[in-house]
Amino acid sequence: MKIYETAVRKPISTILIFIGAIVLGVFAFNRLSVDLYPEMDVPYLSVITTYTGASAGDIEQNITKRLESNLNTVSNLKKITSRSQENMSVIMLEFEWGSNLDEASNDIRDVIGRIETYLPDGADKPMILKFSSSMMPIMFLYATADQSYKGLYKLLDEKVANPLNRIDGVGSVNISGAPDREIQVNVDPQRLEAYHLTVEQIGQIIAQENINIPAGAMDIGSERLSLRTQGEFVESSEIKNIVVATYNGKPIKIQDVAQVCDTVRKLTVEETVNGIQSVRISVQKQSGANSVDICNAVKKMLPEIQASLPSDVKLGILNDTSKFINNSINSLSETVIFAFLFVILVVLFFLGRWRATIIICLTIPVSLIAAFIYLMFTGGTLNVISLSSLSIAIGMVVDDAIVVLENITKHLERKARPVDAAVYGTNEVWLAVIATTLTVVAVFLPLTMVGGMAGIMFKQLGWIVTIVIVVSAVAAITLTPLLSAKMLKFKLVHTYKGVGIIFKPIDKFLDKLDSAYARLLTWTVGHKAITIVSAALIFLASVLIPVLGLVSTDMMPQTDNGQLTVKVDLPVNYNLEQTTTFAHQLENRIKELVPEIEYISVSSGADDQGGFAALFGNSGVNSLSISIVMVDKKDRERGQAEIADLIRAEIAKYSEPTKYSVTNGNSGGGMMGGNTVDVKVFGYDFNNTMDIAKEISDKMKLIPGARDLSISREDMRMEMHVDFDREKLAQFGINTATAATFVRNRINGMLCSLYREDGEEYDIYVRYDEPFRTSIEDVENIILINSQGATIHLSEVAKITEDFTPPIIEHEDRQRVVTVSASLGKGVALGDVATGTRKILKALTLPAGVDVAIAGSVEDQEESFGDLITLLGLILLLVYIVMAAQFESLSQPLIIMISVLFAFTGVFLALWITGTSLGLIALIGSIMLVGIVVKNGIVMVDFTNLQRERGMGLTDAVITAGKSRLRPVLMTSATTILGMLPLAIGTGEGSELWQSMGIAVVGGLTISTVLTLLVIPTVYAAFNIGEIKRERADNRVAIEEL
Amino acid sequence: MKSVFITYGQSLNQAIEELLDKLSVRGFSRWDETFGRGSENGDPHYGTHAWPSKNSSIIAIVDDNKATLLMQKLRLLNQQTEEQGLSAFVWSVEETL
Repeated sequence: MKIYETAVRKPISTILIFIGAIVLGVFAFNRLSVDLYPEMDVPYLSVITTYTGASAGDIEQNITKRLESNLNTVSNLKKITSRSQENMSVIMLEFEWGSNLDEASNDIRDVIGRIETYLPDGADKPMILKFSSSMMPIMFLYATADQSYKGLYKLLDEKVANPLNRIDGVGSVNISGAPDREIQVNVDPQRLEAYHLTVEQIGQIIAQENINIPAGAMDIGSERLSLRTQGEFVESSEIKNIVVATYNGKPIKIQDVAQVCDTVRKLTVEETVNGIQSVRISVQKQSGANSVDICNAVKKMLPEIQASLPSDVKLGILNDTSKFINNSINSLSETVIFAFLFVILVVLFFLGRWRATIIICLTIPVSLIAAFIYLMFTGGTLNVISLSSLSIAIGMVVDDAIVVLENITKHLERKARPVDAAVYGTNEVWLAVIATTLTVVAVFLPLTMVGGMAGIMFKQLGWIVTIVIVVSAVAAITLTPLLSAKMLKFKLVHTYKGVGIIFKPIDKFLDKLDSAYARLLTWTVGHKAITIVSAALIFLASVLIPVLGLVSTDMMPQTDNGQLTVKVDLPVNYNLEQTTTFAHQLENRIKELVPEIEYISVSSGADDQGGFAALFGNSGVNSLSISIVMVDKKDRERGQAEIADLIRAEIAKYSEPTKYSVTNGNSGGGMMGGNTVDVKVFGYDFNNTMDIAKEISDKMKLIPGARDLSISREDMRMEMHVDFDREKLAQFGINTATAATFVRNRINGMLCSLYREDGEEYDIYVRYDEPFRTSIEDVENIILINSQGATIHLSEVAKITEDFTPPIIEHEDRQRVVTVSASLGKGVALGDVATGTRKILKALTLPAGVDVAIAGSVEDQEESFGDLITLLGLILLLVYIVMAAQFESLSQPLIIMISVLFAFTGVFLALWITGTSLGLIALIGSIMLVGIVVKNGIVMVDFTNLQRERGMGLTDAVITAGKSRLRPVLMTSATTILGMLPLAIGTGEGSELWQSMGIAVVGGLTISTVLTLLVIPTVYAAFNIGEIKRERADNRVAIEEL
Repeated sequence: MKSVFITYGQSLNQAIEELLDKLSVRGFSRWDETFGRGSENGDPHYGTHAWPSKNSSIIAIVDDNKATLLMQKLRLLNQQTEEQGLSAFVWSVEETL
């Protein structure tokens, strides 16, 4: 028994199998995670090495270069970039898409193990982290406190950061703006000198006093007791009473030479949320982790964390990426449901029968649910790509069921029993159904084989559409005949009774449409030359649209997620106070200008403690950043880009900022933050490369649409150098290391011991009191003491010079690089700015040893577009092969492929009219169109062939076939067009992401369908014109013979 | 004894079987898929792309009077479902085993 026969004859098994599949699908659906895009984070690993006290240049030479040249051998490495900055070297390794990061980190560990011994002694062991600093944090929390303010850092670190770090997928949790308690021993150098003491001695004495040592155990009587010496400070005030020396028989206590303060570390960063001072906690995800899952886990954990904190500490969510993702996915789900409803309406409109409509539309949920099962088993997510794939598939899954149902009704019309009609009706068409399914699979399956970033986007789309279509074909030859056998009662003539009355005008309209189309077709077939030439002209004219640059190219659509980040750099000599004042002045102006603000948080200055915070935050005390979260898109009139331009204009009015940018807040993925056009200037010489970078930046400013021009290398910072005279040092018996440590201990401070209180540890620092470290003279007056106890002033053995150094040195592929980057203004396409930039680069004269290259989103765009064009070629070839095999003809597939040309005409026209740019998403839409539009052509040509096989003349066959296939073609096209229409119109949050796909498919399919209906039959007739002539000759011979 | 050869559009399968049951015709042989076309009118049943429909055929050896009855019923069925296509032929059987 054939599968369809089994299905019809065993209805219970069949229905239960489908119900089982649906239950599994619903189960899968509930377990799916939500994300914005398929997992498309660039696989990144970072190697971070800290070397406290080293300048950017030292770090570059001693750490970064050594690590880079060795890490370069790791396999699958695509790009290696680095940042060498004060205290820290950060090397980012970008891997090829789909690389296994666990393997890669093992490789890296091997490399580090090999060269560890060659790194400077003071450098910490390099750390490997699964994230890149270019990835934005996915969540910001804030904390405010009253009484607990002093110990807030420790508190947050232990009670908030630690538990959050344990959440699966969290890369790091950073706390910024929190004060950290510190015990400071601020010494007066003059008194020290008078008592002949040093900072080091005081530090050592504190360390030796603050100590508990177990002294063993004793047997006393019958008991064994352990003995401990108790020296540790119980209160921080004990420190000031420690005796450090005796002078003339009098004990000298610490309070005689220094002030002991139990205070907080001097803040170099100030954070406010809606004007209230607070601490910001940012959560960074690991490469490849799911943002929404992490945000949900964090949100779930917050009440628990809040309960563990003192009552005056309040935690809140400042910014949560998952909100935008959830909103986008919800609004996309809505469009999918609309698509479903539209398809039902279209089917009802054309068939005019409830039962038939129900039978056909039941294949939709059954097939779509297969996609959820696929996603669950492959660990996929519900995202823009997977949901829009469903949107596309909805219109296509009904096609097979319609073909089967049509043939079954034909048998019913001939008075066959329902079961027989179902079995034998399916028997006649099931092969044809599988053949058309194969054509669609030929388009969508190759999508799963693309590489690079485009491959990540396409993989899900390809698999989902392939699986859904295959399942729909299976449902069409099992479920549809079964339901037809059970439900269909065929009445030859529609009675138009009851609600059915509405079908009367519809049927009339469709009949009129049929005959109007037949007349038009007769005309075009009669005027082949005119029709074909004008069709060719339409196509050529549409090609001019992209050639003339009327449609710009783009990468990913810019989204409006209601988040903006404003970054401003003030002159380098600004201190925290000045920066903060400016920041709040700007904050107030922005609040006035943008009433749509829900949250505004300001971060002024930078954390000087190094650590990860330094990677994400501002670069110095002279910089500030303002994060803005606006109300939901539906509650405001102005778009994000418009507001961004407004803020830019406002900042431009001030004279203080040296550099500023207003960028889209992050929208989930690392690279989705926004499109940029970057120019990389490679070269060793700082001055040469900087000059070129400045020149490029100045010229790029003039390109319309380019905003926020910035140069990655910051202005040189003034630095004081202590240059030791080795000969003199040797005379005094001091080496450079000792001398340098002396300087460091007095200025930076000496961490001598830890003060314990309530199980927590706080640093005890000894250093010069602040008034004694404010000028160059103070440094020169630092006193060194040699092993003989002689005092030497620093100025005797060293010269203090001033110099300028870059605060950060960046490398790409081991070369020094400066990046000039521009972001895009409202409604500006990436391709336009890229073209302008290319012109500038061409006109540039470069000094020797300097190289420039365009990069950023443009680089990704070119790579992806290249991949896609190759893919398009491959798909066209495959579709041709499948069709040629199906028709056993080389010319007929070519005729059908004319519809592909018109699809592109429609895409270009639609994009041009709507002013949409051709981005990756629109290109995906265009490629899918290939599979959708050839279906129309296949139906037309196939039926024409059939008519001719039945013995009809060429012209008659073309017109009859056209007339009888008009409704199926219109119906299948209308289901897809209306299915995609909600996507194209989309107004919900995140709709920018998929709108271009909707526009491309709706435009392409509409134009292609209309033109296909007229041009394909005409070209078909023209191709076979030789046969017409032969027919006529045969006729003449026959007549003569008679 | 007569031999009745019935060839018909596949979808009539169930109807024909019921007919034979009703007339208590126990013995018959059936070819599930046969192809052909009618002598006068109707679509060919070729199972091809152009003519996808197929026939089934049955041969039954029955008593003379039952053959007449069967032919009557078949004629009636054919009138009701003309588009399916149904032909039946009767000839004498000389010997059976």
